Amino acid sequence: MTDPKLQPAIPVQPSEPPSERAVSRRRFIRTTGALAAAAAAGPWIAPRRARAAAKTLKILQWNHFVPAYDKWFDGTYVKEWGRKHDTEVIVDHVGIAALNSRAAAEVSAQKGHDLFMFLSPPPAYEAQVIDHREVYEEVGRHHGKPIELALRSTYNPKTKKYFAFSDSYVPDPVNYRTDLWDDVGMLPATWDDIRVGGRKIKEKHKIPVGIGLSSELDTAMATRALLYAFGGSVQDDHGNVTLDSRQTIDAVKFMRALYQEAMTPEVLAWDASSNNRAMIAGKISLALNAISITREAENKHLAIARQIALAKAAQGPARRIGLEHVMDCYVIWKFAENQDGAKRFLADYIGDFRAGFVASEFYNFPCFPATVPDLKKEIANDARAQPHDKYAVLGDVLGWATNVGYPGYANAAVDEIFNTWVVNTMFAKAATGALPPEEAVREADVQAKRIFAKWRERGFV
Amino acid sequence: MIAPGQAPPGAAERPRIVPRAEASAPAPRRGDARADADPAAKIEARALSKGFAEVSAVAAVSLAVRNGEFLVLLGPSGSGKSTLLRMIAGLETPSSGDVLIDGAVVTDLAPRSRNVAMVFQSYALYPHLTVFENIAFPLRARGVRGRALERRVLDASAAFGLEPLLRRKPRQLSGGERQRVALVRAIVREPTVLLLDEPLSNLDAQLRATAREELREFQRRVGTTAIYVTHDQVEAMALGDRIAVLDRGALRQVGSPHEIYEDPADTFVATFIGSPPMNLVRTAGALLGVRPEHLLPRTHFAAAEPITALPVRVGRVEYLGADRLAYGTLDDPWPHDPVVVRWPSTIAAALRAGERQQLFARDTDLKRFDPGTGRRAQ
Amino acid sequence: MDAIALDRVRPRRAAPRWRDDPQALARALLAPAILYIGLLVGFPFLLALYYSVSDATVGARVFHFVGLENFRSAIENPTFWQALRNSIVFTVVSQALVVVLGKAAAMALYRPFRGRALVRFLILLPWVAPISLGAIGWLWIFDPVYSILDWVARALHLIGPDAWPIWLGQPHLAMASVILVNVWRLAPLATVIILAGMSAIPQDIHDAAAIDGAGFWRHLIRINLPLLMPVMLVALLFGVVFTFTDMIVIFVLTRGGPYDTTQVLASLAFFTGVQGGDLAGGAAIALFLFPVLAAVAIGALTLARRAEVV
Repeated sequence: MTDPKLQPAIPVQPSEPPSERAVSRRRFIRTTGALAAAAAAGPWIAPRRARAAAKTLKILQWNHFVPAYDKWFDGTYVKEWGRKHDTEVIVDHVGIAALNSRAAAEVSAQKGHDLFMFLSPPPAYEAQVIDHREVYEEVGRHHGKPIELALRSTYNPKTKKYFAFSDSYVPDPVNYRTDLWDDVGMLPATWDDIRVGGRKIKEKHKIPVGIGLSSELDTAMATRALLYAFGGSVQDDHGNVTLDSRQTIDAVKFMRALYQEAMTPEVLAWDASSNNRAMIAGKISLALNAISITREAENKHLAIARQIALAKAAQGPARRIGLEHVMDCYVIWKFAENQDGAKRFLADYIGDFRAGFVASEFYNFPCFPATVPDLKKEIANDARAQPHDKYAVLGDVLGWATNVGYPGYANAAVDEIFNTWVVNTMFAKAATGALPPEEAVREADVQAKRIFAKWRERGFV
Repeated sequence: MIAPGQAPPGAAERPRIVPRAEASAPAPRRGDARADADPAAKIEARALSKGFAEVSAVAAVSLAVRNGEFLVLLGPSGSGKSTLLRMIAGLETPSSGDVLIDGAVVTDLAPRSRNVAMVFQSYALYPHLTVFENIAFPLRARGVRGRALERRVLDASAAFGLEPLLRRKPRQLSGGERQRVALVRAIVREPTVLLLDEPLSNLDAQLRATAREELREFQRRVGTTAIYVTHDQVEAMALGDRIAVLDRGALRQVGSPHEIYEDPADTFVATFIGSPPMNLVRTAGALLGVRPEHLLPRTHFAAAEPITALPVRVGRVEYLGADRLAYGTLDDPWPHDPVVVRWPSTIAAALRAGERQQLFARDTDLKRFDPGTGRRAQ
Repeated sequence: MDAIALDRVRPRRAAPRWRDDPQALARALLAPAILYIGLLVGFPFLLALYYSVSDATVGARVFHFVGLENFRSAIENPTFWQALRNSIVFTVVSQALVVVLGKAAAMALYRPFRGRALVRFLILLPWVAPISLGAIGWLWIFDPVYSILDWVARALHLIGPDAWPIWLGQPHLAMASVILVNVWRLAPLATVIILAGMSAIPQDIHDAAAIDGAGFWRHLIRINLPLLMPVMLVALLFGVVFTFTDMIVIFVLTRGGPYDTTQVLASLAFFTGVQGGDLAGGAAIALFLFPVLAAVAIGALTLARRAEVV
């Protein structure tokens, strides 16, 4: 991830001026009975709204990391869709940091957008959203099953409700400098490789490994990847807190060693875009991040672009596992005015997802793989990448990417633990020696249990 | 911070303000505005000038103040009297010229190195300090501590009846009490000179006469040389051993109240002093000045006295109780200049509007001024 | 007939009676302020009280009363205690610096000099600029990769080529950094308040002190500071309230890191309540600010009244 997180919480701006286009009001929207009623009302409302669309659909989402995606989405896709469905589509964008506050505000006002896109699972809002099961079912009828990652991120097994609909996710591979790693004759295939190779590179080139230990998203993802790879987890499959375990302590001890041997204290000060900058500046040998680093280097035509390679998530003692970097989660509020339009839009959007995948420059991967059948072929031959098959390694991402909350589902407690940086803090305290590993883990476990208890009491877990 | 040790033994026995039994004899008077190096001078201004942004507030004023003297700087607002006082205090830096205290040039010294004291129009009491601490402030600043400090504050307070007020804050005092505190704070340090900047102007008219008397008495008792700034000629006449009249930054005349009144050095002084001011009559080759109370009926003069006839056509008469004022114009053969006549109620003669009164003045009461320069012409 | 005549004599009815009634007028003029306080201070405060004893989440509309459960949860949370300690350190240290620097700057700006208006304008800029923008500027100054501070220090050979301070990454430095930015942000306000206070002291008092023999320090400590005390307490009160309740500096610079060493109550409340979705828990944490702020306000106002001049 990069710069979008730095954007201040500015008020949303409509990305589209009021529509000028004349729309044929005779083109009736298909589907439900509600729309039939709208059609019936058409002749009466027609004289007053001769040039306006019969319906509006309001969408709020982030400023995409890849500007080309927003250009395609706002400027091309929703316009076409709106014409087809006699709907004026308004897309508003906010910075990633403002998403949660914005959602809270909309819920509080019981008013806002018809479609609201989170970048992480929003289980806390479950009571405010429709059950998205029917969207999954509708899409599933045409495009096959969604991936497990999507379901794990949007389903509450306790209430049996789908509290969001996930269209796509972003892989979180290992980014590393080929020149440096070649120089020490290693590849970052396992966490041990990262530690040993990272130390060698640091000793030889004074360039450290760059895995964050700060209160920010990339650290949250990277430390979870390490935790899961060592067999530890925050919760088990049934929502019980399992953080204080031998495996977690091993993971934390490993991080302490990695930090002391191969890193520098600057990772403690990082924000979510620091690893991007550090990698592009040539100051780190390895990072865990989305493909934003390489894309940025390519877009700016930087020489270092060809020296940054991608690798699968590192193998740990327990398994090879990594995180999704961000998870697109659309919700339809119960108070949304155009719920039917929102559902229709999501279903149609999945049908056209291949175009979105391309527009995002392979940043967004499909939650319905059938919609991009030639994904592996596409990413294996990227015109700008050097080498052209740089992104091919993401072809089997589903084999190693998982959700926050693994091995269970994303839930409200997991989300609060994520957003109050409990895991980040646990690793950072142990790594810097502020607390012994066992104590850091115990402290985090107490926190996690406290948070789980809170949400369990409220019936969310 | 400087923390001088205990006051040296005997510090308490230092000479203190001893109220003097009688006022010192007024210093010899001179009507001359120019006072060159004067060995008897306590305070001396030598060609002091101060310009604020091209406007000359004080222009080359030279002035000597004698030991123990009460000198009043009198002038209308904007005449530069306060600026002159502040230069003597060290609060303003002169553009040119020097200030001498006890014969030493102090022009470049800070106020606190001059041992001057000043009483301000607002009294400038420290609002957050008690009367005791206000009075103690200048002593503390001089390193007086402990019992010596307490003794000097108490002695000075007692001498002026401030003892019951020592624990109060300034806001709990009346106007007159504040003035006394300000004065005691000023003299407790035994200053070389006491500077007073219109200290009575904040008091109402009733209190002002009493305060004026107290102030004069006060200065006589402590015997400190004092320079007093005012725009009020009554105050100046009542208080000053000598008065220095300033106008637009220039010194017009220095002299005793009597000299200033009877022998004004120029038309400015003549018309600034006296209420109503001196009448000025245009004659061939000179301006003739005559005070309103000097225009009298023939019966008031001895037969042999050299007098001059000044017929007046009365326009309007004001009855003021103790006085009558008549406003009119001179009549032939004089130019018809406006004149004011003031008769005390002891003069029984009629004074009626519209009548021509044949009035006279002693020749010695007629002052001649140069019509060009306004200076006295003999 | 008489009634008609009387009517004619009565003054014109243009002005309603309340305009002549000082009581009614006072109420009318106060109304906007009371409305403002009620809507923007009172209502959110009551809402926070309500949330803090409920099980409110960002996604819930129906709340249940849970008593002091949220407060219990907060005080069981070690991060809460750390945030409380950090809040106090952050506030006390930055306000001490703000008042001292504000006073020094006010003294420098008090006497006229060429370009004073420009300097006064410039010194106010940090206060006028949006906090988030200013803080982002500082984020770059402290950036672990590109820090201009480190670059300058290295250029001056103050630090070696391989060792450099990680401003936002080492606990004490991080706290110092966020304090520095907070001081940078709040000192202008204190400066302006103190300048106004200084202008209100009559020049005569300063002249009197000069003539009474006070040097710089005596003047400052015995005259200037006591007379400015009420106004400095007001500046301090504002500063404490702004600092204690603000999270933007910390949110932009450290998000509470490294490992919660700069986490303050306001930021913890935000992370818990809004980002974490536990509105009730966030409200409970935020409400711990209230007694502290109330005590500070009452204390400062009492002192100010006691020190009031004339």
